[in-house]
Amino acid sequence: MASLTLRGITKRFGRTEVIRGVDLDVKDGEFVVFVGPSGCGKSTLLRMIAGLEDISGGELRLDGRLMNEVQPAKRGVAMVFQSYALYPHLTVRDNMAFGLKVRGVSLPDRLKQVEAAADTLKLGALLDRYPRELSGGQRQRVAIGRAIVGEPQVFLFDEPLSNLDAELRVHMRSEIAALHKRLGTTMIYVTHDQIEAMTLADRIVVLRDGLVEQVGTPRELYENPFNLFVAQFIGSPKMNILPVAAVRLPAPAGAVKVGLRPEDLRIVAPGAGVVDGTVVHAEYTGAASLVHVGLDGGETCLVVCQGDGPGDGARVGLGCEVGRVRWFGDSGQAVSQS
Amino acid sequence: MPRPATVPMANDDPPWLSLKMREAMEAWLFLGPTLAGFLIFFAGPLVAVVGYSMTEWNLLSQQSTFVGLKNYSHALTENPDFWLVVRNSAIFALGLVPANMALALALAIALSRPFRGVVVFRTVFFAPVVTSAAAWAIVWKFLLQGEAGFVNQMLAYVGIAGPNWLREPNWAMVAVIATRVIKMVGLNMILYIAALQAIPRDYEAAARLEGASSWQIFTGITWPLLGPTTLVIMVITTIGSFKVFDHIYLMTGGGPENGTLVLAFAIYEQGFKFFNVGYASALAMIMFVIVMGLTLVQLAVRRRDT
Repeated sequence: MASLTLRGITKRFGRTEVIRGVDLDVKDGEFVVFVGPSGCGKSTLLRMIAGLEDISGGELRLDGRLMNEVQPAKRGVAMVFQSYALYPHLTVRDNMAFGLKVRGVSLPDRLKQVEAAADTLKLGALLDRYPRELSGGQRQRVAIGRAIVGEPQVFLFDEPLSNLDAELRVHMRSEIAALHKRLGTTMIYVTHDQIEAMTLADRIVVLRDGLVEQVGTPRELYENPFNLFVAQFIGSPKMNILPVAAVRLPAPAGAVKVGLRPEDLRIVAPGAGVVDGTVVHAEYTGAASLVHVGLDGGETCLVVCQGDGPGDGARVGLGCEVGRVRWFGDSGQAVSQS
Repeated sequence: MPRPATVPMANDDPPWLSLKMREAMEAWLFLGPTLAGFLIFFAGPLVAVVGYSMTEWNLLSQQSTFVGLKNYSHALTENPDFWLVVRNSAIFALGLVPANMALALALAIALSRPFRGVVVFRTVFFAPVVTSAAAWAIVWKFLLQGEAGFVNQMLAYVGIAGPNWLREPNWAMVAVIATRVIKMVGLNMILYIAALQAIPRDYEAAARLEGASSWQIFTGITWPLLGPTTLVIMVITTIGSFKVFDHIYLMTGGGPENGTLVLAFAIYEQGFKFFNVGYASALAMIMFVIVMGLTLVQLAVRRRDT
């Protein structure tokens, strides 16, 4: 286990600065997830921590030791790649033992360590197979197995579930969470899937254009986003953003936008809520319906409604508890109610 | 009462040809031109050569006599020059194939990653492949002349007295192999570059994170993944080395003292210099069997290793 500290980390490719001064403290044994849209620099930041990309500026410390110029293999980190990066010509056993072999670990010790990791991940029956003979989920587990064999201080995951189907993704997500609980090792996980981030993370780091927008627990990010970007990025379906004039609520000083989460809104009689509109379309998803309401001001508002929603064309009002409403100023920064 | 609009019914009569037969006809139509070319220009001549190889046929006298396997037994048991020719061809192949492949791989590794001027370097090394063999051989013949040759003059600068490359039996083979390697290495380099670029970069990143050195990455990851490409290169280079003719013809004419007399050149001499078409055909068939045999061995070894 190890703590990780980033101070003013920057990364330039030629004249383009893709990481623009990141400060972050990751505690021992913490599960931190980097999220952000494509191109925000989350994978680059992860590869910089791994040592696969040079650090253009700033300091990277692992357990207080400066790591900027330390070779990848000597940082005590292991990485699970999006593509899994399993060597296709080696069996599962040899894939998992590769790192031990190149580090000169004796054959009996190698086999013992591989068997132990295989037991942890229930890979025992697959050890003599080649990667091409495995399913997506099994490959994923082998990739994780290869990472844990070396007993790293920090695990790095680069969108490891993005190649799996939805059902398997949910299953592997719970396996990774269980693994973290069992090993207690520091883990840094990159994803663009905010559900993955919310379910796995102790803390989430939201990145945009190479900058950290907000760091916090999933609940903090969901309930108290610092700005419009985080408010809209965290939560699914995403938060409705309306001009303050569109709602019948007293706005705090400086607020120009109001944020209403679809799951916080409820359908009421016209005039009884904070805003009125007409149902444009309702998507039935089983447990709930996602109702698209065209507001009188021209905006569209999404509402999560238990069971069937009202029919298309129905005139409705939308109600919301005042405490669940979020306000944002001109620059997009959150404005507090008081 | 107006009649309701109806959809015209499809003709229910069975077609003259079933769907499967029509598809087969289309397939043969597309295959036809290639198949005709194969039969006329490959299978036909091959069968003809097998037939000629069992005759004693002098091109000048136009007399052909069926002699069965006599040409083969003459080559294999009676003619000592035949084994010299086989030996020379084997030396040529053993010298050329590893040297060509090793150099091609080294160049490919150096030139597979982008850097300023990489295209220029790739072009420089590939250009000889598309250069006329005649021009190439003539230029090298001048460069490799005795004391006056450019190569020996360069060697003299560093205190080495170079041999008369193309006039001494042992050095002539070395010179022919070296010039052939330089000419053809660009082709294999391009194949290796394509194969190297197809290896996902994540493999190297994963290995590096696990502590592998560059050499361990090459031996443990890169080289095994280049296996299929290496096999293709080995097969085509081996076949090419047994078929070499132009270089020998233009640079040494099979000499000195038959030191560079290889199979393809011996076939040419028998057929078009001494007009022994039957014997030349038998040599051609023997060469075909040798090359086919080596190719099958290479394929079998590769299959065993994977």
